[in-house]
Amino acid sequence: MHMFRAFARASGTVAVLLSGTALVQAADVSFLTHWAPDTVAKLEAAAATYTASHPDTKITVRAVPFGDLLTTLRTSGGGADGATIAGIYDAWLPDLAKDGLVAALPEAAAADAATAWPAGVLGAASIGGTVYGFPNEINVYALNYNKRLFAEAGIADAPKTWDEFLAAAEKLTDKSKGQQGFGLINSWAAGVLHPFSSLLVSNGGDLVVDGKPVLDSKQATETFELYEKLIKNGYSDPAMATADANTTGPFLDSFVSGKTGMIIMANWWESALKAGMGDAFADIATAPIPVGPSGTEARSISYSWMTVVNAKASADEQAAAFDFLSWLNGPESGPNGASAMAEILVSMGILPSRTSDVAAYADQLASDPFLTGYTSTLANAKGFPVVLGGQEFSESLQKTLEAVQFGQLSAADAQATAQADAVEILERNAK
Amino acid sequence: MQFSQHRSAFFMLAPATLLLGVFIIVPMLLTIWLSFHEWSTQTGFETATFVGLQNFFDIFAGNSVGRDFKAALLNTGIYTLASVVVILPLSVLLGLLVHQKLAPGGIFLRTVLFATYMVPMIAVALVFSKLYSPSEGPINQMLGWIGIPPQTWLSAPQTALGSIVLLNVWQQIGYFTVLAVAGLTQIPDSLYEAAKIDGASPLQRFWSITLPMLANTLLFSSVIAIINAVQVFEPVALITQGGPVNSTNVLTYHIRRVGIERAQGGLGSAMAVTLMLSLIVAITALFAFFRSREGKSA
Repeated sequence: MHMFRAFARASGTVAVLLSGTALVQAADVSFLTHWAPDTVAKLEAAAATYTASHPDTKITVRAVPFGDLLTTLRTSGGGADGATIAGIYDAWLPDLAKDGLVAALPEAAAADAATAWPAGVLGAASIGGTVYGFPNEINVYALNYNKRLFAEAGIADAPKTWDEFLAAAEKLTDKSKGQQGFGLINSWAAGVLHPFSSLLVSNGGDLVVDGKPVLDSKQATETFELYEKLIKNGYSDPAMATADANTTGPFLDSFVSGKTGMIIMANWWESALKAGMGDAFADIATAPIPVGPSGTEARSISYSWMTVVNAKASADEQAAAFDFLSWLNGPESGPNGASAMAEILVSMGILPSRTSDVAAYADQLASDPFLTGYTSTLANAKGFPVVLGGQEFSESLQKTLEAVQFGQLSAADAQATAQADAVEILERNAK
Repeated sequence: MQFSQHRSAFFMLAPATLLLGVFIIVPMLLTIWLSFHEWSTQTGFETATFVGLQNFFDIFAGNSVGRDFKAALLNTGIYTLASVVVILPLSVLLGLLVHQKLAPGGIFLRTVLFATYMVPMIAVALVFSKLYSPSEGPINQMLGWIGIPPQTWLSAPQTALGSIVLLNVWQQIGYFTVLAVAGLTQIPDSLYEAAKIDGASPLQRFWSITLPMLANTLLFSSVIAIINAVQVFEPVALITQGGPVNSTNVLTYHIRRVGIERAQGGLGSAMAVTLMLSLIVAITALFAFFRSREGKSA
């Protein structure tokens, strides 16, 4: 009996010591992002503010180019020694969740998220009702046009319909100056797909409905034909279309140097344009996507980014990461009831998605003429499909659209190929 | 005595054999084993499901998986062939130039040529992506001075792969020129002197002495050039990402896309095994070709 008591006392002491150790155990949290160095500096400053009141947590930020982000996540990022937190594109979530690489939000954080974000935004960060990430940025697409080139071509207003759009592209095209009316993109999957998808939804169409591709619709036919017209009439020059996810290349160069009249691009593009154009940025205006013949109102696709926590990180690291993310995305961490995350996003011209952040920055967003073309279309935006095999689907459609750009496929053949490939890819990945 | 010799040989060979086994043989066998399985690279090997030859059927099928793989295989073949066809004769030509004892500055020229090989690929990629810019690139501007219209370079599927080949040639030519010079120094001067006495022209001396005597060097250069070309990855990943229209999508980049980005480890392994088999066939054919030439000349 005496021995039992002694053992119980010793066990109790060990338990108390262990729990105390756990309480003071330091957690190393690493944050993987694709942001540029100046934005990374802002994130590091926010992390420093957090760690000042949480000295047991150490936060380091690691940045890789967008083009390498998924690969990094798939290799080192997914292991126990990989990044604890990662910023990911919503289209990647189904595959990452299926492979068990991302942890579900703890109950309390998920309950808070349900009231803090609009249901549609939170839906893109959820699979089967389970919330996997803290949504942060939301991106929509708008027509970007050069007012100086418009004035020189005698065009008064931004085109509102596809007919006006084609007429403007014709007037803006001047081969003697090496000037194209509308800038298409190639060599970058999202860059190719998103403008096409925005034109498609503004024509009343969709890419995927209920998990099934619907690229065989009349609306899609008209969108493929629009691309064909742009190329065949010389309004778009594919040699000026090369781009990558870091926004370098002839696509950016041509628009920045005033050799492209119009493009369709996302709101995050603002910082790249400002950096590339300097004072000439004042020539740039934005407008909603022109409405196609089968469309009824200007629409765009939207996509979001979220921060997720590595499911293979230790329990301590996961707990510390979720605590940091709750703070970073919460209304206490930034100025005027906004989150620190929103402050970082708005500095890049990116729209925040948390309801309290949108309210806190409403005046500032409304006063930015560049963002007006985006915010005006946000309510009608359709989310880019979030499906298993989304990356493969995107790369396949990218290749088909590029084949149209270079005259390798007619609009009809491209549509048939795109639909057949999409059906096969989504069915295979859904298994 | 014999046992003792065997034992010491065993212990001396064991470390190297063990390293080879762990770092080369095991990964190769694992890749071959995975090529017969459906497997996500994000899960343990225990989750791999045996599918027989299905992955190999898939990569040669008519759907997007098969079309992309076959296009990448063809791109790799064209890239390899073009690189070898340009690099080998050019390296011999430059080798002859810098090997000339009468021409001054041979060592300096050799150093300059080899310097391109030492430049990191990231720097080469950054510079060439700007040089090739169709609207504002210096190459097109210089072509414009002599009346040649702007070329599309990396911006069109017809020219993108060729532009990557040119970049590869620029970077590798110094290394292969040094190999050619090393081969040229092994040819005895007495052969050339004897040929001169017999009245052989410089061209005849090149075809009858230089080229046959360089056969082993050329075989080695060919093997290295093929292996280097088949493994091309950095310029594609850094500059073109396989585009436009997959025209620069070579196999190493495609395997990374399928096996890592899409986590389709079985398919990626089947592609890697096919690449390995293609390389073995190409190298074996090359050795057979050089042996047949040796047989004829003997």
